[in-house]
Amino acid sequence: MSLSKAEKSYIQTGLLSNPPLRGDGRTLDDFRPIALETGVAPLANGSAKLIIGQDPHGGGGGTEVLAATKLEVENVQDEGADGGRVVCSVTCSPTAYPNLSPGALDDLQYDMTTILHQTLFHPSLHPPNLGIIPGRKSWLLSLDLVILSDTGNVYDALFMAARAALWDTKVPRTRSVEYKARQSGRNAPKDPATMDVDPEEQSGFATRKLATATDFELADYWDEGEDLGGRSGWPVAITLNLVSPTHFLDASPPEDSAAPQKVLLAFSFPESSHTKLQAIRSLGSGELNVPQLKELIATGEKYAKQLFSALNSKLKEEDIRRSQKARDRFAKR
Amino acid sequence: MITFTSYPTQQDYSAHSSTKHHPDVAEDVHMDLYDDEAFAAGAKLTLPGEYLTSSQAFMRGHGTYVNDEEVIASVAGTVERVNKLVTVRPVRTRYNPEVGDLVVGRITEVQPRRWKVDAHSRQDAVLMLSSVNLPGGIQRRKLESDELQMRTFFEEGDLLVAEVQAFFSDGAMSLHTRSLRYGKLRNGQLVVVPPILVRRLKSHFITLPCGVDLILGLNGYIWISKHVKESDQEGEDGFDAEAVYSNKNDDIDTATRIAISRVSNIIQLISAHFMPLTGAILLEAYEWVVEQDCGTKDLFQDDLGDALITSLRARG
Repeated sequence: MSLSKAEKSYIQTGLLSNPPLRGDGRTLDDFRPIALETGVAPLANGSAKLIIGQDPHGGGGGTEVLAATKLEVENVQDEGADGGRVVCSVTCSPTAYPNLSPGALDDLQYDMTTILHQTLFHPSLHPPNLGIIPGRKSWLLSLDLVILSDTGNVYDALFMAARAALWDTKVPRTRSVEYKARQSGRNAPKDPATMDVDPEEQSGFATRKLATATDFELADYWDEGEDLGGRSGWPVAITLNLVSPTHFLDASPPEDSAAPQKVLLAFSFPESSHTKLQAIRSLGSGELNVPQLKELIATGEKYAKQLFSALNSKLKEEDIRRSQKARDRFAKR
Repeated sequence: MITFTSYPTQQDYSAHSSTKHHPDVAEDVHMDLYDDEAFAAGAKLTLPGEYLTSSQAFMRGHGTYVNDEEVIASVAGTVERVNKLVTVRPVRTRYNPEVGDLVVGRITEVQPRRWKVDAHSRQDAVLMLSSVNLPGGIQRRKLESDELQMRTFFEEGDLLVAEVQAFFSDGAMSLHTRSLRYGKLRNGQLVVVPPILVRRLKSHFITLPCGVDLILGLNGYIWISKHVKESDQEGEDGFDAEAVYSNKNDDIDTATRIAISRVSNIIQLISAHFMPLTGAILLEAYEWVVEQDCGTKDLFQDDLGDALITSLRARG
């Protein structure tokens, strides 16, 4: 979005004045309202849509992101990895960036994909339950995000949507299957080896450890599966827009063009241990020195914590809403 | 402060999968617009796919198509008729310029002897170098040096207020800023609303008593800025090039800034409810907000915004 010099200076002066004033009356650390819904794509293993700053009256506007995860079975021998793989991709809808050429759109998509992929699928965050049969089969988790419209602060929206979709992801329960030769071994009569389903069922993990397991089947169970492991550890990101000496959150497009320098910080808040800084990105032009960055990380953590707890309570609320909805539907039947 | 809200609940359309009418109405559904009274009875709203009239008696215009000898609306809007031509003027559309309209635009490109201006129309508007006021007197001829320093007048991204002067053969509009009230914009911020919400008024320059000037562009671009006194605007000898093409803002105090953002939020709220904007409505809304003593951003909360709209509607 191009701005005139007068608009730019109007926004910058407003941000730096005392008290700081923004075009829509927010304070520096105010977010626009965020609407979130999980379970929006019935065919995905987990999905969420999120919109920042929509008109509360159902009008248009706002940064809208749709995120969905899909699990596929992979052979470890071929391209898969033992314990599962995760792949992330971000697609920008051309309607979100109507003034970008297809080439520029590809570049933008690529940038976003890289940032998300490198942050979310860092080994430290790898979900533990993506393996099916050790050394043979595993799940490939693909996380796809689509940006449907962009009115500023798209990175925070992407990370929040990704977190919500991963939170919502259910991994189907599997049970290992093995071929059992008859006790008598080769001397046995011509009777062929019979396929046998492992009778033990009390622990899915125990059956997985069987080294002889060659294949698996899906356990028939009432829900869609178990939660993706380590789901409380998925990070949230916070973008600090810098107008030296201060910073603000959730920039609208004019503010974004008036203050192009940004720092993106991704934090994860695992239940068991300390807060972890998962990623730092400096976006836009301009430079930062170490003391500045230290200070920004400290304040960024505070904001991220707020965002994290707000998002968590919203996600739990969504879980309750959906189980209630499912129950109602079941009762109606 | 971070707040999460729910998505607005989707309405259940499953009950409306087939069009149903009340038994009494069923016969009137195919009411023909043949007689003139139907057209004269004020604006008729259509939905896409709605039957308008027979194609044997009428000609189809913009926003309609013919199927099985019936003229059918292809957009949602108001039906208009000129003699035998039936058109539908869509509710949501880009700006359709008319000569003499006041518009607010943004420079997108500097070309030889002309600027391209985004004015929310289907094509970029054109502002010729010969239709702006050049520094050093209004009635000066343009020189070659002016052509070489066009960016000192307007550069990419600059906002300006102008009037539609004429049309080119391809339908693009030509603008002019040959008035002291027109020219570059500063000291404020822009709000964009659907063009249909800005009606033709006696004056599109509105001054609110809270020290805020408004320029309601007919193209839906609204400029909200600090109030400038009439006498300052003119300058001593009628035209002050320095001030007219300046990129620097004046000092704007906190109260004015708050008023500007409050007005811009009110405009966004009103446009979200699709109410037409006039100076009177804005003034009313501003007074209401001051009376309620709410913060600027609180307007975006559902209940407060709804209360404002209800009070505006009640006034009529």
